Amino acid sequence: MNRIQAQVTAIKSEQNITIVTFYAAEEVMRMMALELDSEIAVGTKVVLGVKATSITLAKGLMGEVSSSNQLEVYVDRIITGALLCSVRFTFAGVSLESVITKASAERMLLKEGDAVTALVKSSDLSILEVVPWT
Amino acid sequence: MLEIKIQKPLKGSVGEMHLDVDLSIEEHAFVALAGPSGSGKTTLLRILAGLETAQGSIYVSRAVWQEARTVLPPQKREIGFVFQEYALFNNMSVEENLLYVSKDQKLADELLEMTHLSALKERLPTTLSGGQKQRVSLCRAMMKRPKLLLMDEPLSALDPVMRTKLQQDILNLHKTFGTTTVMVSHDPSEIYRLAERVIVLEQGKIVNDGTPKEVLLKTQGSQKFSLVGEILEIIQADVIYIAVISIGQQIVEVVLDSDEALLFQVGEQVQISTKAFSPSISKLS
Repeated sequence: MNRIQAQVTAIKSEQNITIVTFYAAEEVMRMMALELDSEIAVGTKVVLGVKATSITLAKGLMGEVSSSNQLEVYVDRIITGALLCSVRFTFAGVSLESVITKASAERMLLKEGDAVTALVKSSDLSILEVVPWT
Repeated sequence: MLEIKIQKPLKGSVGEMHLDVDLSIEEHAFVALAGPSGSGKTTLLRILAGLETAQGSIYVSRAVWQEARTVLPPQKREIGFVFQEYALFNNMSVEENLLYVSKDQKLADELLEMTHLSALKERLPTTLSGGQKQRVSLCRAMMKRPKLLLMDEPLSALDPVMRTKLQQDILNLHKTFGTTTVMVSHDPSEIYRLAERVIVLEQGKIVNDGTPKEVLLKTQGSQKFSLVGEILEIIQADVIYIAVISIGQQIVEVVLDSDEALLFQVGEQVQISTKAFSPSISKLS
């Protein structure tokens, strides 16, 4: 599970659905959730989680995409398997991983150093833990 | 309002423990008592019923059931008690079992009607199914129009279909008679359907108290779909890993990344969580 440090900047609720907005390294991130734990409020520091298989990578992205989270990053390392590809990049000071098919990586001519957009749907993002104030 | 403040030293499954409960329950509430076995749930029910002694006080709508020098005997406490085993008189008919408690024919008829037992009122308990017997126990417990209905795992001996039916009967009786109900239960679905409040006892102390959703919904951060399981195997596949995990009677697979694969060991108990948005459900074929 990829872990991203973030801080809650807004919480919007309607019936049982909540949209939480975060700041993570100057970037705005959004999460779709049901009811939140009462300890989570504006200002709360959290660790966000997203599975490697839930991160889409885009190169030369044009047009509008519905993903709420679009992180501009550079590819650090690519490990190619028989069918799959592990692509590592750095965001908010930590190394994150996206697992995509080898065919996609080849089609994109993906290589280390490439500028890519990492896309995460708001429903694929979760709060793993609340970071206590120090 | 039910005000309970009691203490009692107990011999628990892991040595000495102290039952120490300070609790108030609103009138007409339906409260579930949960917690591991040997945590003092049944003892607490028996103390409320006056079947067991303890230090402390019990007040029910300002009436004294127990105080320093006063201890009301069970028959003077307006209670109904339903046990896991049916505790019926086998030499008396269904109707006689009810009338033995109180000679209120009208109430007996009403209760038998509500629980669909009218046609069986002449039968002896030995000729009834488990579910029917427990319905009779339930009716009998209501014959004194109790202020407080106490139930100790009343449905645990029944099959799931019968359980759901009796849950409805329990709820109907609770609402119709406006009783305050305290039920010991281990079954999360039963607690969720019936109770508006769950009190969890552990080692004789209250460790959790809230609505069924607050107490029972297992969450991991914002992940609302959370289960406990044991890792059976971690298989490397291409650039990812697959963890084979047993959850209850089922086996599931979860994809891990290489960092996660290093964190976990086979045999380890783990929490498996995902967001409420991810799982899909379908009908059993």
